[in-house]
Amino acid sequence: MMSLVERAARIGALLGVLLSAVISTSVYADAPAPDELVRKLAAEMTSAVRSDPELQNPGSLKISDFVQKNIVPRFDFERITQIAMGRNWAKANSAEQKQIVTEFSKLLTRTYSNAISTLKDLDVEVKSTRVMTPNADVTVKTQMIGRPQPVSIDYSLINGPAGWKVYDVTVEGISLVAAYRDEFAGLVSQSGTSGLIDALKKKNGG
Amino acid sequence: MKRIATIVFMLALVAPSLVAAAPSKKAKPAVAPIPLEEPAEIAPPNDLFEPINRVTFAVNDGIDLIIVNPLVALWNGLMPSFVRTGVGNFFNNLDDVYVGVNHLLQGNGSRAGVDFERVAVNSTVGIGGLIDVGAKMGLQKVDGDFGQTLGVWGLPTGPYVILPLIGPSTVRESAGRSVRVMTDPRTYLDAVPSYSLMGLEYLQTRADAKANEGLIAASSLDRYVFIRNLYLQKRSLMVKSGQTQH
Repeated sequence: MMSLVERAARIGALLGVLLSAVISTSVYADAPAPDELVRKLAAEMTSAVRSDPELQNPGSLKISDFVQKNIVPRFDFERITQIAMGRNWAKANSAEQKQIVTEFSKLLTRTYSNAISTLKDLDVEVKSTRVMTPNADVTVKTQMIGRPQPVSIDYSLINGPAGWKVYDVTVEGISLVAAYRDEFAGLVSQSGTSGLIDALKKKNGG
Repeated sequence: MKRIATIVFMLALVAPSLVAAAPSKKAKPAVAPIPLEEPAEIAPPNDLFEPINRVTFAVNDGIDLIIVNPLVALWNGLMPSFVRTGVGNFFNNLDDVYVGVNHLLQGNGSRAGVDFERVAVNSTVGIGGLIDVGAKMGLQKVDGDFGQTLGVWGLPTGPYVILPLIGPSTVRESAGRSVRVMTDPRTYLDAVPSYSLMGLEYLQTRADAKANEGLIAASSLDRYVFIRNLYLQKRSLMVKSGQTQH
């Protein structure tokens, strides 16, 4: 029997791996279908990490640069924050909303960036795509292979003016964005929107 | 976690046949981004014992720091990885017996068949469970326990509980866990072999996960709440998949 904290912990770690798997393309002139996009990005990302030892070194500056340039633009952090905040989103004013998006994206980017180094030994396989709204909202189901057990990672993408962007990542059925909901709700109910902003800033070392 | 991985793996195998054709070629950008639907009021998790839980959580952290972490470091340092894998496989093989029984209790005979086939293969060809031959044959390990069975039968989780040393649980899962302990033959061995086996399993599972605990600490604002959320998501997923698989 595996301890339950362990399970939670491992899930957390997988959340790390996941950010690594969705990557931006430098060029997306003609927006490809989301499943194609994920497949292509995964392939590009994997080959980048394998050919550059610095990207295999967790904590290196190069990783954070790489992530900023290639991964961050592929995520819709505003939508991510909105979902994580639920009803409290509408209660925050637009300056607060902006601040929360900034700080939350910083937190996610900072903590999950190093996971790309694991792509050295892992492959991403696109399994299937579930269409929620045609041409607008889909979930691309993938599997990470290369460990004793494959890990399922699903990317929810939304289509907008800037092309497809990821707004949730679900690892082994567990949603990363939903994982933050209780935390956010708890902080807002305890100390208001400003309390949430302070907590995020503090976590980011600011 | 390996077991969790496998459940989803099994589901993923079935998924392509269920999923509508994936959108192919180029998708035109949507005219306007889809607005988020009105977020539903999310029911707060049932954490009646939160004040006590937080104390136990902190105590567990302390025990981890002082005792478990050094032991895990020692274990990882002394044992080559193939030994650790073997130990993990050995306990997984014992667990598969329980998983199979629980799948039967959940009315999922076909999955139980796979579980018992794994036990048969791994206990023999896999040298008493040390090698997971089953997985190599495509028989992946999945999760299953009595807490899940109770959930499939319709019992609600009850309040969230942090168990000493073990960590996140709920009233229902704790009940399931105690049934497991009572029916575990190891419980009835003499004290020394009994505790050694349980201690070894505990150490191995902790060692498996240690590397990842830092990420949770780094990415969460309130680690207690974050872990609670992950745990409850996971348990509810297990019960849902148990209910839909037959």
